[in-house]
Amino acid sequence: MSEASRALEVSVVPSGDAKASRPAPQSRVEAPGRGAPRTLDRAAPGAVVRVIGVDGDDALARRLEDLGFWRGSEVRVDRVAPFGDPVQFRLHGYRLALRKSEAKRVLVEDG
Amino acid sequence: MTASRRVPTVALVGRQNAGKTSLLMHLTGTTQHPVNFPGSSVERGEAFTKAGDEVLRVVDLPGITSLEALSPDEAVALDWLDGKREGEGADVVCAVMDAAKLSVELRLVLALAARGKPLVVALTKSDVAGVTIDVDLLATRLGVPVLAVNALTGVGKDALLAALRAEARRTTPRPPAAPLALDTIVREVTARSGDPHDNLTDKLDRVLLHRVFGLPILGLLLFGIFQTLFAGAKPAMDLIEAGQGALGSWVTDLVPEGALQSFLVDGLVNGVGSVLVFLPQIILLMIFVSLLEASGYMARAAFLLDRVLSKVGLSGRSFVPMVSSFACAVPGILSTRMIDNERERLATIAILPLMSCSARLPVYVVLIAAFFPVHQAGLVLFSLYALGVVIAFAVAWILRKTKLRGPYAVLMMELPVYQRPSFKVVRGQVAAAVREFMVMAGTVILTTAILIWILSYYPRPAAVHEAAQRERAPIAAELATLGDGPEHADARASLEAKLDGVKTREKATYLEGSLLASAGKFIAPLFEPAGFEWRTTVGVLAAFPARELIIPTLGILYRVGDVDPGEFEVASLDANEARKDQGLTGRLRSATREDGSPAWSTLSALAVMVFFALCSQCMATLGAIRRETRSWKWPVFVFTYMTSLAWLMAVLVFQVGSALGLGGGS
Repeated sequence: MSEASRALEVSVVPSGDAKASRPAPQSRVEAPGRGAPRTLDRAAPGAVVRVIGVDGDDALARRLEDLGFWRGSEVRVDRVAPFGDPVQFRLHGYRLALRKSEAKRVLVEDG
Repeated sequence: MTASRRVPTVALVGRQNAGKTSLLMHLTGTTQHPVNFPGSSVERGEAFTKAGDEVLRVVDLPGITSLEALSPDEAVALDWLDGKREGEGADVVCAVMDAAKLSVELRLVLALAARGKPLVVALTKSDVAGVTIDVDLLATRLGVPVLAVNALTGVGKDALLAALRAEARRTTPRPPAAPLALDTIVREVTARSGDPHDNLTDKLDRVLLHRVFGLPILGLLLFGIFQTLFAGAKPAMDLIEAGQGALGSWVTDLVPEGALQSFLVDGLVNGVGSVLVFLPQIILLMIFVSLLEASGYMARAAFLLDRVLSKVGLSGRSFVPMVSSFACAVPGILSTRMIDNERERLATIAILPLMSCSARLPVYVVLIAAFFPVHQAGLVLFSLYALGVVIAFAVAWILRKTKLRGPYAVLMMELPVYQRPSFKVVRGQVAAAVREFMVMAGTVILTTAILIWILSYYPRPAAVHEAAQRERAPIAAELATLGDGPEHADARASLEAKLDGVKTREKATYLEGSLLASAGKFIAPLFEPAGFEWRTTVGVLAAFPARELIIPTLGILYRVGDVDPGEFEVASLDANEARKDQGLTGRLRSATREDGSPAWSTLSALAVMVFFALCSQCMATLGAIRRETRSWKWPVFVFTYMTSLAWLMAVLVFQVGSALGLGGGS
């Protein structure tokens, strides 16, 4: 439970709490060099990652960006469906289900 | 600008879950009607409303995520917005924005603002978002009016309408806002507050989407829905059947015997009634589907089962329509509107009629009761349901590899925050389904029922009636000599039964000489390899309007008299061993062909059931496909492939079974 609410905070804050201190740079300071780039489909449930970019320049890539996977966005991996696919992500304060085949297009580092 | 020539048009633009449809209902009342974009099956909701002294046309466009189309629906919506189609477009764009995900939504709003059309932002769900948004500051930063509206209750709609009217009247272009970075705007206008709904959603999801318990919970939920559906619809269906019976006998009493009476009773009342009887199921099912969708659970069901369905080129969103179709394909087809990918939606529609619906059940039950021992009944019934599902998956897979191959078979589905369904939205969706079904009952179903009646009634050779009268005369005379006293009750009953027997034979003789029977005999050789006797083939033809109509037809042809499909329920299967040799089941077992060999065998019964499991003998379904795809191409395709497949599988079952020496006798 506490894990989920923490993740919620992390994902909401970048989209703008003026009063709270911004933890995003902090977490970067806490974890220097941990952010080896990898694709989003490989992030484990519970992980909080930061988007580096979307691979490719086709309609699908642009759509992923429009859905919120732009550079700097924080994404939390909420859970994997019973049969192993799709995966539920949390970003910009909402929940999105993606198949791993699409999540593969998103490059992330540890958030 | 164009307000002097036509009614100003407001387009509701936004993502799928932003609350556009509810907003349209609140802005305009519930009288919106679906309109198709020319040359496509994509639909928009449309309605008129009064804003002060001005009339506005409000159009609910299909959901878009960005200004670059990825699906045909989006492309159509965007083209229309730009006025690329039919020379019209929006005078005012109303961007419907979910406050909970301001940053993602703002990306779309900024893109819309950059196009320079008059723009008003409607901020929904600001009450459940868990963030407080400074609406006035947001309006200043964006340079366009921003109004908070509660999509559930409609609070705030008057201010929104006033703003829309003001923008529709605007003659000078709006001054451009200072370009600001998205992140900056978001940071400036939002402040966090409590987050009750979001936490509730998290808690619910931990249970409902659990890796182990998620699927059993879904299964239990569907089981409960089906139990309620069949139990709840039964009284209403009984009532409709009773009403149909009462109306039939009332007309019989009122109208003298003859063509008119038969037309009214057999053609209209019974023909249309046999389809109308499914209305209670359709209503209940639409209520459930609509509640699942509006509460947010539908997306969860899709999430849980997406993997399985993705194997055949569908997605989790096809799941609920498929399950609905086990009761009736019509609401299943209507609920495919929730599938945003057009090709996936068409593939789903094409396979839904393969799910064994409740109209097939009486056919299965009669034949299983007649030809299979009680301990095999469950297995045979289950196999028929499984056959439909397996074939459906195969057909979907083939369609998605060929005709409906799409560049993106992707799932990008928001899992919305759980919420209390809006009564207005549910009522609106159910009303729309009922309206569609009634329109079909009044047009395509009525036409088919009349056609089948004409074919089964004519010609009426006078000789048949004269022969029956000759048989009747001595019986009637004998009846007349009997007194009214109770001592003659038994004799009277036996004479009346004799008269009924004459009537039954007369009916059968007429039907055997009818155009329908001629057609049945004509195509009978085609069904011979499947082991169908010609009377079965006639039954197949008579079942065009609705599958269960084969039962009364067989009842007449096998000289049982009038048989009501409603009496054959699953519950009667285990008690049927004793009744096997009575009524219709008994006649099917004892009936012979002209050469004296049995008309039916276990194997031919199985072949008939396989045929009915796969054929598309249902005008309501074909009509629904026509209405939902806005083209005759799809119903014709579905009818053709299903009938061919049904014939092929029936022949296969009978031929392979015969070669293996199975099911010779019953």
